Amino acid sequence: MRFSDLTGVFDVGTLLETNVRLGVTGLRRAGKTVFVTALVDNLLKAGRLPFLDVVSSGRFQASRLRPQPDPDVPRFDVEGHLSALTGAAPGSEPRWPDTTKGIGQLRVSIRYQPGSALLRTVQPVATLNLDIVDYPGEWLLDLPLLRLSFAEWSGLTLELANQAPRDGLSALWRHWLADIDPAAPAEEMAARQGAALYTDYLHACRRADTLLSLIQPGRFVEPGDMKDAPLLTFCPLSGGPGGRGSLWELMESRYEAYKTNVVRRFFTDHFARLDRQIVLIDVLGALNAGPFGMADMKRALELSLEPFRHGASGWFDWLFGSKIDRVLFAATKADHIAAHQHAHLRGLLDQLVGNARSAIRFDGAAVETMAIAAVKCTESVTTEHEGRQLRCVRGTPVGRDRPTVLFPGEIPDNADAFPPGREHPYNFLPFRPPADLGRDPRGLPHIRLDQALQFLLGDYLE
Amino acid sequence: MTDPAHDPAPTTTPPSAAWVPPMEFAAEAAQPLALAEEQALLSAGALVPAATEPDASEDDPTQPAPTLPAQGRAVRWLVGSVVALLLLGVGLDTADTLARAFAASAALGILVALLLTGAGLALVALLVGEWRALRRLRAIETLRRDAERLTLGQRHGTAGSFAGALTALYTPRPELQGALTRLRDHVTDAHDDGEIVRLLDQELLTPIDRMAHQRVLLAARDTAVTTALSPSALLDLTVVLWRNLKLVREIAALYGAQPGYIGSVRLLRRMLANLAVAGLTESAHHLAVEALGGTIVAAISTRMGQGVINGLLTARVGLTAMHLCRPIAFGPDNRPSLTRIRKEVLTLPQQLL
Repeated sequence: MRFSDLTGVFDVGTLLETNVRLGVTGLRRAGKTVFVTALVDNLLKAGRLPFLDVVSSGRFQASRLRPQPDPDVPRFDVEGHLSALTGAAPGSEPRWPDTTKGIGQLRVSIRYQPGSALLRTVQPVATLNLDIVDYPGEWLLDLPLLRLSFAEWSGLTLELANQAPRDGLSALWRHWLADIDPAAPAEEMAARQGAALYTDYLHACRRADTLLSLIQPGRFVEPGDMKDAPLLTFCPLSGGPGGRGSLWELMESRYEAYKTNVVRRFFTDHFARLDRQIVLIDVLGALNAGPFGMADMKRALELSLEPFRHGASGWFDWLFGSKIDRVLFAATKADHIAAHQHAHLRGLLDQLVGNARSAIRFDGAAVETMAIAAVKCTESVTTEHEGRQLRCVRGTPVGRDRPTVLFPGEIPDNADAFPPGREHPYNFLPFRPPADLGRDPRGLPHIRLDQALQFLLGDYLE
Repeated sequence: MTDPAHDPAPTTTPPSAAWVPPMEFAAEAAQPLALAEEQALLSAGALVPAATEPDASEDDPTQPAPTLPAQGRAVRWLVGSVVALLLLGVGLDTADTLARAFAASAALGILVALLLTGAGLALVALLVGEWRALRRLRAIETLRRDAERLTLGQRHGTAGSFAGALTALYTPRPELQGALTRLRDHVTDAHDDGEIVRLLDQELLTPIDRMAHQRVLLAARDTAVTTALSPSALLDLTVVLWRNLKLVREIAALYGAQPGYIGSVRLLRRMLANLAVAGLTESAHHLAVEALGGTIVAAISTRMGQGVINGLLTARVGLTAMHLCRPIAFGPDNRPSLTRIRKEVLTLPQQLL
């Protein structure tokens, strides 16, 4: 090896760089794509981050996109999403970017001056490589499967499917279940039919009017590159284990294969390497969906918190254990409600995360909640209604041309979100991105994106 | 003490009010919410908030005036009567001089009368100036209480008057224009009260903190050097007192308090009380290091040691002044520390020798 190669290996610049992997996740429609796009845009332009310490204290120098470290993971197409959002292409209107399927990765390098005088003498300019890993929240919900056997999982899933409002959605699949005999010899056609019915049921759960959150296994709705693979051709069965060659045995082996080849691989390849995690939650969508949507979201949230309980709970430690030490639960789309309601929205999220959160605080990562909006498309206004001042939001709803003033209903503070006797207390509308987004050199307007960043990365940027 | 005028809509629906179902309105009917806030920030209208608290008495309300013992009361009476006597004497003398001047010649009389009027007007002007300065000082105290209330309140949309008053305080200052523009850039209608106070703190007051810190450093070096070089203790004392008073006025002016002489003396007095306490509580660590540093340097030269100690004392006076004059109290993260100043002052002997 020649000397010039050596200097390449021990390049002082790269030696002193720090890497941090930030996981961004959330169920479908939670706003992952928009969040990552707004995050990157704001980091690159750094004009709207007053609560990010490194920027407000003037130590921030610049940041830029760099080639990502993992060549086998698809790149997050930030340019494409940004141009969709700003309507940059000629003749196109600003619109919300298409949802991404599967995992995506992007590296942003941030150059800054270290805060302490001692560090500055060693290293006047430091570099932080922020690797943003964006993956579907359904995959996070898969992780708890690792400790469930097929029989246990079948029991839990069936119990859930029998309760309202899932009983209606799962009727076809349960009908099929009642006809089939798990102990009968396995036939591929039967397995395919069951899996298809079960997948339809899961898709129905995710539709906008019900918006249920607890989807297992996640790849059934977010298959990524595994569509129609035998790995995804199974479903929970009722009854007890059958003998060799039975349908039950086929399903069970596929379930185990799913756990090994999909869930565990996701865990070791991606999740275990994350340092920080933000979970985006569409609380307003669940409020729109009604009490069932909220209850389901609470259950899903408690499940998704489990992987962060490293330390005491133990079952995660035998697989290398995750090293995530800060988790942020963010209620997205906070711009759909008037600003004085943000505190109540956050309070509601606190209730949802509830007990699990204090357990995690005790034995694992630091957990925080916030109400954020990755792209702010409305403004808070007041209007008069029957002699009362109402605080509303003004913006252009998706599918309309003219702005409107919307009073979407008020989230109560520290009380039951669905008081008895009131049909449909909430009506949160999706709004279109504002027209002049691309022209602002300061970056996309947001709500508390900077505070989220400060919580997630502040200590790395000191 | 929230003013209902600044609170157009209650933040939470009172339980008695009728429930309003979700609905839409015509876009034209609505008012921007952040009207008060943004207008206050943009126009920076009124100079200082009309001192919202009528009960802000001359002395710090948190420290009730102790009841004087009988002897103290006697001393007060003595001083009062002597001052009254002196004033009476001066007044009689002046009247006598005026009468005699007129008796001697009309021209002389007019001259004396003019001088007298001039002196009287100057006195009035001085008093008015002092009174204003005192009011400004008190306004800062009010601001600080407001900031605390807003931070703890977790409400939305009531920080407008506070933000307006604070920015108005700094609008005339050319060196802060950049900070003010940045601030206007950053504040949106989505920020709640606590966030607005934090933004004001870090965008507007942090640059001032830096300047004040610089002044403290300068003053500490000044006193240290003069004490080290001056031949007599009396000169020392005068210089240190004068420099401390000047430092306090400078810092107060930086934060927008601009105290008059009475105000500075009051500040200095409150500071002395604070210093006595701070010396005990701030941290044993500081004291130990200071004492140690002091003795080592004193071993080299007593005068040098005194200089260093005086410098540190001045620095501490300056930091206390910063604490007292800042419209938003320091948090745990941005509290100014003696450590840096101590390092700087301790290197002085090397610089001088």
